[in-house]
Amino acid sequence: MTQQGPNTVFVFPAWVDELKPFIAAAGVGLPIYLVALVWYGGSPATTDVGYAPQQPVAYSHALHAGELGIDCRYCHNTVEVAAHAAVPPTQTCMNCHTNIRGTSPKLAAVRESSATGMPIPWVRVHDLPDYVYFNHSAHVRRGVGCVECHGRIDAMDVVYQAKKLSMGWCLDCHRNPDAHLRPPEAATQMDWEPPKGVDRTAFGKTIRERLKLAPSEDCSTCHR
Amino acid sequence: MPPVELWRSLDDLAGDPTLRELVSREFPAHADEMLASSRRDFLKLMGASVALAGMTACRRWPSELIVPFAHRPEGYVPGSTLQYATSLDVGGAATGLLVTSYDGRPIKIEGNPSHPQSLGATDPCAQATVLQLYDPDRSQGVVQREGSGEPAPRTVEAFTTWARTHFASLDASKGAGLRVLAEPSSSLALLAIRERFARRFPGAVWVEWDPLSRDAAREGATLAFGRPLRTHLALERADVIAAFDADLLFDDPAALANARAWARRRRAPDDVMNRLWAVEAGYSLTGGSADHRIAVPSVLVPVVLGRVAAVLARAGALPGLPPETRAALERFSSHSFDDPRIAALARDLAGAPGRSAVVVGPRQPAAAHALAHLLNHGLANAGVTVWYSEDPEPARPSHREAIARLAGDLNAGVVDTVVVLGGNPAYDAPRDLDLAGKLSHVKTAIRLGLYDDETSEVCDWHVPQAHYLESWGDARGWDGTAGIVQPLIRPLYDGMSAIELIALVADGKTTPGYDLVRATWQARLPSPDFERAWRRIVHDGVAEGTRFVAVAPELSPGAAAPIAALADAELPRAGTYELTFSRSASLHDGRYANLGWLAELPDPVTKLTWDNAALLHPEDAKALGVKRNGDRVAIEADGRELTVPAFLLPGQAKGSIGLDLGWGRRRAGRVGDAVGVDAYALRSSDSLWRAEARVARRPGTDALASTQDHHIVDTLGKREQAIRAEELVRTGTLEEFLENRAFARERVEIPPDAPLWTPHAYPGHKWGLAIDLTACTGCHACTIACQAENNIPVVGPAEVRRGREMHWIRVDRYFAGDPAAPRLAFQPMACHHCETAPCEQVCPVAATVHDHEGLNVMVYNRCVGTRYCSNNCPYKVRRFNWFNNHKHATAVEMMVMNPEVTVRSRGVMEKCTYCLQRIEAVKIAAKNEARAIRDGEIVPACAQVCPTEAIVFGDLNDPESRVRAAHDDPRCYGVLEEVNTKPRTRYLARLTNPARGEA
Repeated sequence: MTQQGPNTVFVFPAWVDELKPFIAAAGVGLPIYLVALVWYGGSPATTDVGYAPQQPVAYSHALHAGELGIDCRYCHNTVEVAAHAAVPPTQTCMNCHTNIRGTSPKLAAVRESSATGMPIPWVRVHDLPDYVYFNHSAHVRRGVGCVECHGRIDAMDVVYQAKKLSMGWCLDCHRNPDAHLRPPEAATQMDWEPPKGVDRTAFGKTIRERLKLAPSEDCSTCHR
Repeated sequence: MPPVELWRSLDDLAGDPTLRELVSREFPAHADEMLASSRRDFLKLMGASVALAGMTACRRWPSELIVPFAHRPEGYVPGSTLQYATSLDVGGAATGLLVTSYDGRPIKIEGNPSHPQSLGATDPCAQATVLQLYDPDRSQGVVQREGSGEPAPRTVEAFTTWARTHFASLDASKGAGLRVLAEPSSSLALLAIRERFARRFPGAVWVEWDPLSRDAAREGATLAFGRPLRTHLALERADVIAAFDADLLFDDPAALANARAWARRRRAPDDVMNRLWAVEAGYSLTGGSADHRIAVPSVLVPVVLGRVAAVLARAGALPGLPPETRAALERFSSHSFDDPRIAALARDLAGAPGRSAVVVGPRQPAAAHALAHLLNHGLANAGVTVWYSEDPEPARPSHREAIARLAGDLNAGVVDTVVVLGGNPAYDAPRDLDLAGKLSHVKTAIRLGLYDDETSEVCDWHVPQAHYLESWGDARGWDGTAGIVQPLIRPLYDGMSAIELIALVADGKTTPGYDLVRATWQARLPSPDFERAWRRIVHDGVAEGTRFVAVAPELSPGAAAPIAALADAELPRAGTYELTFSRSASLHDGRYANLGWLAELPDPVTKLTWDNAALLHPEDAKALGVKRNGDRVAIEADGRELTVPAFLLPGQAKGSIGLDLGWGRRRAGRVGDAVGVDAYALRSSDSLWRAEARVARRPGTDALASTQDHHIVDTLGKREQAIRAEELVRTGTLEEFLENRAFARERVEIPPDAPLWTPHAYPGHKWGLAIDLTACTGCHACTIACQAENNIPVVGPAEVRRGREMHWIRVDRYFAGDPAAPRLAFQPMACHHCETAPCEQVCPVAATVHDHEGLNVMVYNRCVGTRYCSNNCPYKVRRFNWFNNHKHATAVEMMVMNPEVTVRSRGVMEKCTYCLQRIEAVKIAAKNEARAIRDGEIVPACAQVCPTEAIVFGDLNDPESRVRAAHDDPRCYGVLEEVNTKPRTRYLARLTNPARGEA
């Protein structure tokens, strides 16, 4: 580089001119990109939906709930009486698997847990923030089917998060519940559909009126 | 009658300018200043947090594991709570408890409604024992201290092996050198094991010591009846109650039952109210609730009692008095002390024969108790308002004699083995006996204790004691009702219970506590159906038919001489003061010193936290040169001196200085070490409750953490109203009430304000709360109940001094009337859930909003911490998290948290929610069962625990609800209603029932 005197002026080289359209494009595009990145990238639809952690036992809901048609409540038996739809104890698995596939290597962890009494460390899939108090019984007994929040579990080999489970998503249903209601008896039926020719929303409305449902939008309903 | 002026402290009364400043500020000085001092530090911190915020955004929140049981117990629902009955034995008297367990960990302690000594209520200490269970400073293993060497950890097996050999070696001498130093216990299982112990070691001596001994009452009964009967009260039948230095509503083994019975008759159900007289030196809660309180030095209390008796005797109200007793009473008439109210008290008692009760407290000498028995017999109260039962251990020497004899034996060198069962004698035994020094010289000292404390330090073996929530046992209430101590959790550390240790000593083998208790009850319950009966008792927590049998004793004539001697009581000599010791309202005898909830619980009367102080009458303070609270004074008693901060307490008897025991622990743990001063240091075996003391001012002032002037509801700003008196705590006499039932409501004119917003409609529920100030005794049980239920953090003395205590429900204490002889008034204050809540209007992020059932809800995850809401709250009930207070809590400490309530972090405002989690739990359960919510089904923690049922919660839309009835009561008023907040929490005015012409 040549020595510059105190009075010399810096002049951009000529090739910079060729960058001008790119700089202009970046000036317009970058803010849009950043907004879109935060908007879509930070959305629960991106961060959470599809979350499918590996479980200690390769348990397939598609096989048990789908193919074999075991009711959700056989294992998650507290769902109608408690806030938590309890993950079953190892004993529940062993009720059948003592006789069925009793030696399968896939079930080694289950047999070990049953023998030692140490729990199987399942990984939580549907994880709400700690300041949210969701109650399963309050929903299942009022005609909100499992499928509304969990998706078609009966088709999942590995359980993944199917819905956003964000606050806005909860409120969508609390504000317009009709399209998500069904007879409470059919809460666990994954493929339930309203009677032929009846619109789902219209049918849901009859359920809402019959059960006198008025879903609350108060903060205090879920936050304590 | 003109309303009396109410004030919170002497500064308030004097119009102190600093206090004025405190009131006018949103937060006390420095409360809103960051610890980082310069702008540069602030920018650095900001920069760092922005950078960190960027980092965290890249990460999904940590994955959580679900660990179900391998074999789930039948009927167990994960994530739901279960309640188990158990009992807590303190000082040989048990309270029945229901403990809530969440997924196997106890998180909340409540009273057992079917236990007659609880009736569903508990005191602050019993509730805080759940914090003690998870105290990380509890000792976690056996420790051996050989010679003066370092403590060495040992296994439990090593100890039991050693103990078996050691106690076998004592068989030859029949245990002649063996002493057991135990805290009082009402356990039947322990009694059974003690029999075996006495058979194996007939030469051994069982020494019982209780620093808060109530043995004076036992000795008094021996004087009056010839045997140590136990006295019980039936206050539900009493119209006139005279308490002589007796805190029967708070510091009493039957306090919960007493308070319930007293309050039921207090609310003027049929326009009739009981009347409570208190004669005492320092302010007790009973004195605070009294209609008349005569403040005299403790030494003169028997003189007042004697004068009352003399007036009654002369008026012929005490028939059948032997002449020598009559002569003894005459001696009081010539005593130099007199008070015009004495005659009124005597008149009152004479007018209610069979409906009055004379009660003397444990700090008064035996003869005073005998005199009270005399009065109760003469007034036909015996068997009606006062009843007696045989003492469960009539042969026991008094605590004072027993410990003195032990000290003598230790001195004489005839003792080679001491087993210390619980308690903390090295800290709380009379200091002149120097038990700590003597224990350190005994050949073998074994200590069973929850903590490796002052006593363990001087013993050769320390064995960790299992907490009562971890062990099996049994206990009897003051009235004899027996209950089972049922563990809720396996011992967190290798703990042993007292019965297990004594069984090891007596039998030479370890037996599980369950077997010991079961065997004891097997002998007591019907044999064919034992299993059924046993399960019933364990389940209910109460064994039917175990209450003591009432006896009708005859007065023995021997009491005349000691009673006559009471008349010789004189005030302390000139230049000296009377020093009285009292139980700490929060730390009890010091056993709860390491529990932050209790250390930070304001003393009901002084509002001091994290400290005790010498309570002085303002005039005494002036004479001593004490100008401000916290000025140091040196107190010298029995040749020992202690420097204590002074506290000016209006209502303290002149010439008498009060000092709380239980503070100043050396080895309590991280929380309790060196907090306050150790008043036991001044206590001697011949002056357990009262000493003559010299007092002098010492240079220096301690910064006391008193909450008495914190969170003052600002009425000074509304000086346009002629008197501000009586706006907050509206008090009236029964007479006034009968004249004008709506007197409270009419005290303040409510301007016809129209709301600025459309009022909310409440088609469903409309929650509301009512607090009856007539029943509130100021015991602070609600504050601790709320703290336990709602995961409220402890902030420490430095933060309390800055006004940052976090209690959601505080109990405001006001002095009323003449500063020389003020009365007390208490007012529990929590969020009022205003209809037109000022906080809601100023929150910039809508973090505090109204819900459709009338709750003013606080949404933590929206709050950005502007604190505008707190600034705008006229009731000063919002609390701000200046720090992440739970950040450093260990996993074991976090076990006490209620999972149904969010644990708040730094920068978030919080306040009373009406126990939203309890409302939701009941609502969901009721909806699932397709039924309506029953009145009284939702009980907030504060209402649940209240011994006097002063707090009522319910649905205001339900015309049948108790809270609706309370809000419609003519006594009902709202605080600061005139500013149009439309509070949801309303108060029932405080009624007093002074004797005619004595108001």
